[in-house]
Amino acid sequence: MQRIDSNHMNERVFELTGYRREDFSVCLGCKICASVCTVNDLAINVNPQDILLSLFMGKAVDKAHPLFRYCTNCYQCTNACPWGIRIPEVIRAVRESLGMETLFERVFKGSVGIWGRVYEPYIFLKTGLFLAREGYLRYMPRWTGYMSFHLPKKVKIKTGS
Amino acid sequence: MLGHTLVDIPDWNCCGAFEYGDKRKLMELSGENLKKAKDISKDIIAPCPACSRNLKESNEDSVFRVYNPIELFTREFLSGLKIERDLKGQIFTPYYGCVLLRPKETAIPDSNVMEGFVTNLGGETAGEKIKDRCCGGSQFFINKWATERLSRMIIEKSKGIILVFCPLCHMALTTFSKDERVVYFTDLLLYVAGERAHI
Repeated sequence: MQRIDSNHMNERVFELTGYRREDFSVCLGCKICASVCTVNDLAINVNPQDILLSLFMGKAVDKAHPLFRYCTNCYQCTNACPWGIRIPEVIRAVRESLGMETLFERVFKGSVGIWGRVYEPYIFLKTGLFLAREGYLRYMPRWTGYMSFHLPKKVKIKTGS
Repeated sequence: MLGHTLVDIPDWNCCGAFEYGDKRKLMELSGENLKKAKDISKDIIAPCPACSRNLKESNEDSVFRVYNPIELFTREFLSGLKIERDLKGQIFTPYYGCVLLRPKETAIPDSNVMEGFVTNLGGETAGEKIKDRCCGGSQFFINKWATERLSRMIIEKSKGIILVFCPLCHMALTTFSKDERVVYFTDLLLYVAGERAHI
């Protein structure tokens, strides 16, 4: 059963990224992606190759892999990879497939879905408790330069989905 | 300053930044902006590195020319700029971060444009090793400690004024700086051109 689930999940990742399973067969296991990864600077050891290997082998990816939590989308891995594999996009697709979005990501997409843009007062309203609880409010004095109030403008997006 | 006329894309929508796992959805969002712009101009300029990157990638058939503004500040342009002040005796750390320089397909062509400008005006540059490191800005509302650690590392290895050209880098470095100054490159341009009193 686990096998069927992982295959289904992996297929979904290929669908979301546009990669095919065989695209990861070229990974030589050189681990240059691991050596340049920004997450190393957080004193967390990561090896992005683990994820590519699981997808190639049709195995379930490890949901607890630290990259699913800490990848910064910096593309250091992609630039260093001899094949230019876009690992951040693979990670984002796995996160989406496994429903690993955080509150902020859900609200961001919610705003884009409703208004077509990021409407800051909406984001603030939806994440206010989280921002207060997690200690973000103390940064507010430094953010005054970015703040202004405006009414929402709903824009039309005619994408395929 | 550049002599171009800027027109907003009518009814522009968010490019989705890096928030979507579905690449087609992400490309569609920027594709929609390109569709909205097609009757106005084929030259698209987007000042956020994530927006310009997504637009460049969405412009598969190269119908448009998509730029980040930093690409317009070519050495020819900068050398032709009317200069009112020099930068002698001042130290700057040009900081590019991630998306301006990566991935290669959408990177800006000149990864030393800020250094060239500062040194031409007699200023000194520092921080070569951290210019392309990540500030962790995209983790800011997910794992704040991670952004703080990455941004502090950049700040601590910088010297003088940190020059940036990304709103997310500006916000992350400003949030976690102590006395260090974080300045947009365009503000430095206005300063040397005499259109701004202070850096």
